[in-house]
Order: sequence, then C-alpha cells, then structure tokens
Amino acid sequence: MARACSTPSTWARSEPMDDSFQVAASWYDGHSAVRHEGRARWDGGGELLLDAPTSRLTLPLDDLRFGEARGEHVFYRRESETDFRLTLPADMPPGLARHLPEKSEYGAWIDRLGLGKAAVIFAAASAVAVALFMTAPEWLGPRVPESWERNLGRAMIGDFGGRLCSTPEGDAALAKLLDEVDPATTQVNAGVANIDMVNAVALPGGQVLLFDGLIQQAESPEELAGVLAHEVGHVRERHVMTALLRQFGMSVLLAGANSGVGDTVFGVASMGYSRDAEREADDYARARLAESDVSPLGAAGFFERMAEEYGDDGESNAVTGWLASHPAAGERARAYRNAAKEGADYPPVLSEREFAALQSMCEDDPDVEEFDFF
Amino acid sequence: MHGKYDGEGGESAFVFEGNWREFAPIAFTNLLLTIVTLGIYRFWATTRERQYLWSRSRFVDEHLEWAGTGKELFFGFLIVLLLFGLPYLIVSFGAQALIARGYEEIGAALGVLAFVAIFYLMGVARFRALRYRLSRTRWRGIRGGSDNPGFVFGLSYMWKTIVGSLPLGLLIPWSMTSLWNERWSKMSFGPYRFEANAESGGVFARFLLFYLAPFILFLGGLFMAGMGMLAGYGIGGEDGMALGGTFGIIGLVLFFYLGLGLIAVAFYAKFYREVVGATRWKDLDFSFEASTLEWVKLLVGDALLVVFTLGIGLIFLSYRHWKFFITHLEASGEILLDELTQSTTRTARHGEGLLDAFDMGAI
Repeated sequence: MARACSTPSTWARSEPMDDSFQVAASWYDGHSAVRHEGRARWDGGGELLLDAPTSRLTLPLDDLRFGEARGEHVFYRRESETDFRLTLPADMPPGLARHLPEKSEYGAWIDRLGLGKAAVIFAAASAVAVALFMTAPEWLGPRVPESWERNLGRAMIGDFGGRLCSTPEGDAALAKLLDEVDPATTQVNAGVANIDMVNAVALPGGQVLLFDGLIQQAESPEELAGVLAHEVGHVRERHVMTALLRQFGMSVLLAGANSGVGDTVFGVASMGYSRDAEREADDYARARLAESDVSPLGAAGFFERMAEEYGDDGESNAVTGWLASHPAAGERARAYRNAAKEGADYPPVLSEREFAALQSMCEDDPDVEEFDFF
Repeated sequence: MHGKYDGEGGESAFVFEGNWREFAPIAFTNLLLTIVTLGIYRFWATTRERQYLWSRSRFVDEHLEWAGTGKELFFGFLIVLLLFGLPYLIVSFGAQALIARGYEEIGAALGVLAFVAIFYLMGVARFRALRYRLSRTRWRGIRGGSDNPGFVFGLSYMWKTIVGSLPLGLLIPWSMTSLWNERWSKMSFGPYRFEANAESGGVFARFLLFYLAPFILFLGGLFMAGMGMLAGYGIGGEDGMALGGTFGIIGLVLFFYLGLGLIAVAFYAKFYREVVGATRWKDLDFSFEASTLEWVKLLVGDALLVVFTLGIGLIFLSYRHWKFFITHLEASGEILLDELTQSTTRTARHGEGLLDAFDMGAI
C-alpha cells in the first residue's frame, strides 16, 4: 500500500527533420533514484544531448547499449556507466535509428544468424558432438597408450593391499598358466582374489583377477587357463580402456548425480563388456590356447557346467555378474569344444601338484585379507 | 525533483503486469535453443526469462530491471566446475584409490571431507545466489548487493542446520528463521541495509503439526479403514469386509501422504509470512500475504499444468512462481528518492554458478 506521487511522464515528439530533431526522454543517472525527464536532442552527429530541468549531459551514441524493449519504449544502458538507464520512444526516425544500438533478443550470436539458422547450426553441431561422445570409447580406447592405462590402473587400484592370495608354489603355478596364455613381453598382472565367487575380472592397467571361488570349482587347470586367457584377451584387445571411457562418459553425463571416477573402477568390472567384446576375448583365448597347445576342452567343460547350473540364456542369474553379460554359456561351450583338434593329445598345462597349490593358495596364505568392499 | 512515497495508497506496492501470452514466445524459443545446444543455452535462457519477469514487475511507479547477462552466468558455472568440480573429482578418486590399497580409514575420511565441503558450499551458494540477484536487480537505476562474500554464512549454515536437527528436529524452525535473518541482514539495496528479525516462535506451532500429524492421521485413517470394513460388510458380508478394509487402507496411505504434504505447505506458508513480514529496508516494511490455500492452489495448478501438457508446462512454472511471489509481496512505508543513492557494494563479476550447480532458489 505504498503510493507513487511523481508527475506523469509526457511523451511528445517534435517534427523529425533530416539530420536533427528532438524527442522526449527520461533517464536515471545510476547515482541516485531521481528520474530526469526532459528531451533528447540529436544534431546528426555522434552525440545525444540530454536536457532536463534537473540534469544536462552529452552522451556519445557509441557508448549506448541495448537494454530491453517494452511496449512503446526502448531502454538503453551505457557501456561506461552500467547503472545508467535511458528511455527513448521505440519509434525513431531512420537517421538516428541507424546510430542506435540494435535490438538484441536471444544473445549476440543468435541475433546475428537469425533464430532458425542458429537453431539448425547448433543442432547439427550438437549432433556431431553427441556422436563423437558416444563413439569415443570405441575408437579412442584402443588408441590410449598401454603405458597410460597401466599408470591409470596403478593410480586407481594400486596393488590391492594384502587382499590377493599368495604362496610361493601358487604364484609359480599362476605364472606358468599366464605364460601359456599371455606371450607378450610385458605381461598382465594376474592375481587370485580372496573372494568366494565364481568370477574373474580384467581391471584397468592390465590387472587380471581370478576369484578364489572360480578356482575352487575348477575341475582342471585347463579351465583356469581358458578363463585367464579370456581375461587377458580383454586386456590385449583394449576392452578395459574402452569400458573405462564409456563408464567415464556416463558419469560425465550423469554429473551431479553422484558420479566421480571413484565409482568407475569397479563399475567397469560390474558393468562388463559388450557381447562383441566378449566374442573377441573368446577368439583371443582360443588362439592362445591353440598356440600353446592347451586343451580348450577345459574351458568348454566350464561353460557347459555354467549352462547347466544357471541356464543357457546367461541372463537368468544375478549372482555371477560376469556370466550375465557374456554370450550364452551353451553357445560358448560349443565354440570351445569345436576348437579342439580332433584326436589330439594335449599335454596337461599344470601338474597335479601345481594345480593343487593354486587351489589351496588362499587357504595357505596366512595374512591374506578379506575383500570387504565388494 | 523530490519524489517521496508514503504508505497510504490503495494499490499494492508490487504489481505484476506480465501475461503468459507474452511470456510464451520467450519460453518456447528458450526451450528450443536449450535443446539444440545440449543445455548450454540455459544460462542465456534464464537471463531472458528474468529480463521479462523483472521488467513486468512494477514497484510503486517504476519497473524492475534485470541487468544480469547469460555470459556471466555461464562463466560462473565454468568457475564452479573448475574450482569445486575438479577438486571433488580428485578427492573421490583419491578416496577410491586409498580404499583399494587397503587404507579404508583415510579413504573414508576423505569421503567425509568431500561431504562436509559440499554441505558448507551449499550454505555459501544460498548466500551468493541472493547477493547475485540483488546486485543485478535495478529499480530507478539503483541496485542492491552485499560486500560480504558469504563464507561465514556457510559456517553458520552448517552449524545451525546440524544443531537445528539434533533434538528430534525441534529446532529446525529456529535454524530456518535465524539463517534468514543472518542472510538478509548482510544484504543492502542502494545505500541502506536490509534488516530481518524473524522469530521462530511465530512458526513453531505450525511446525509442531509435523509431530502431531502422524497420530491424528493414523487415528483418522484407522477410523476410515474401520468404516470401510463396516460398509463392505454391509454390502457383501465377509468378502465385502476384506475389500472394504483394503480400500480403507489405500485411503489411509493416500491420506497420510497428502496430509504430510499439506502440513509442509501450511508450514512454509506461515514461514514466509513470518520471515518476509519481519524484513525491513530503511523505512519500508515488507509483507507476504499468501495463505496456505493459495499455496495449495499454486502447487496443484503447477501439477495440473505439467500433467495436462505432458511436461511442456514445466517451462511456465518460473513464470507462475514469480507472479505468485510478486502478487503476494507487499510493502508499506516511505522512500525518499533524494536519499536513495547508488549501492557502493562491489558487483560480483560472475553469476550464481555455485547456486546453479546445486540448483537452488534464492528465497
């Protein structure tokens, strides 16, 4: 219930002349709240003369900035004095209108291009950006130098503290298995994790973990060789980096909703890879097994047991996340069985003793810790 | 010229003169540009929206003016991303790495540290949002602002919120009113400071409804369920009774949620009447006269608008809320225009990025 008591403003226009005229105007100087009402006079030059009983000033036209338009009036600000505010009639003779700053509506770029054109250009640029962003993991992942990935992996997970099982005999057996399936000079870091789950993961930085649960249920060392070869395949085909980038992209998209790289490390392990990636890793595994003369029948037996236990569709179990994203176990078992050379007599990949050492590794390691964050 | 306003007129000091048909082209082009720029345009969209809403809001005899720009909001956002997003990323990355290496305690401590930092920054953000909006709001060429950076307010926000919730949440009204007072008394417009001395006593009774409500609602619900069962029995014997009971229970759950929502609205309606009513600026007294029923109408209207336009109505909510705010805002008193000189506060160069990152309102 406050009331205004100021004089109503009057808007009068003089006759527009060719290059000089005057018009009613009002302004605030930005220093006090007092409104100055008077006339704006233009003599065809680069200046506007403001004349009111309370104030008189000369205003360079190029100092004016468009503020906003409302109804019959346009409001201008000054570049040199941001709080200054001049009100002029919207309808100005073309002579002066040319010297006044143009109306701005959407923002400088869009005003210049026009709304329709700008929208099309932005949409196209956005589509390209989205496409690049979506496909980046696929083409960028394999191009990230392996040394970078190793450093990244080291920074993210380190050496797992004391939670990997280790005994001299077990380590030797694992190293022997790894030699068969990873012929590269810089091998992956393989370890046995003290987790009672039938699972295995490839983590950033060429870290491959077989879970103790998987080793316990294995019926032959060839099974373990097959699974290990598969995980090494993920590392060598750069699936880990691809998945890491994809996960990172997701967390960027979901930024704000609890993202952070922190969730990424084991997100990769739990998210798994695409089915294509799984097939590639399987192909890699079969090629290595064949090269090293290791029987693929062990791996075939493993997948057959999995198919029996968890169903053939691979989707039905929630317990072993590893299997969920993998191609149907039955189909994979057949692929491994077909890879076996007919009538070939494969030498055992590990001796009975070595296999036993691997199986009792977690039990025999006196100071192994629990993985309590899975 | 010696302008002077007194508080004896019939018309409200704050009048909203916009209409949604004028606003619609702004809202729709904003939506289009925000989509095609993958959201980047939203800083400019916000600015255009405010420019319209402010310019259609009249205080006494002159319209407000929004002097903020999209660019500064965008840079504010980038600064926040750089200053706070990056360290946060590093801290959570480090926490994960430490946990993986077996240093659970340090990792957890880092996580807690990140949480505390966010809590603190939320307080600072609330302060800065208000400061930014005042510093970009002009009336008769005069703007507001504050020279206080809000870092102390962030601390107050933390301890008052924690203390307020400790005794069964009973001190929440106190923490809310006291934070309002603290925030507004650091703000100024032109040469004068705002003063706020809201008291929690005024809103405490409403707040107690939250504690009493469950019992009342539960008893009421039981009664309804019983009535339903009786009615069902009358119609269809034993089966009818079970059916009636089921409907009764569904009714109870609905009743419970709607009831709690209603209490929250009732509390906020009272809260805003209290705190705005206790806010002064020089010789001007403010008041905010929206009743619980009017708040309910606003929110139900929002919901209907959004549902019946399949979500497109969302772009009109800022308009509706601003209109609600201005329409119910009142001021009485006197302003001497000659004395009303420009604010000497520094203007924040970047926008309310910190606020936008946490997505909060200023008031």
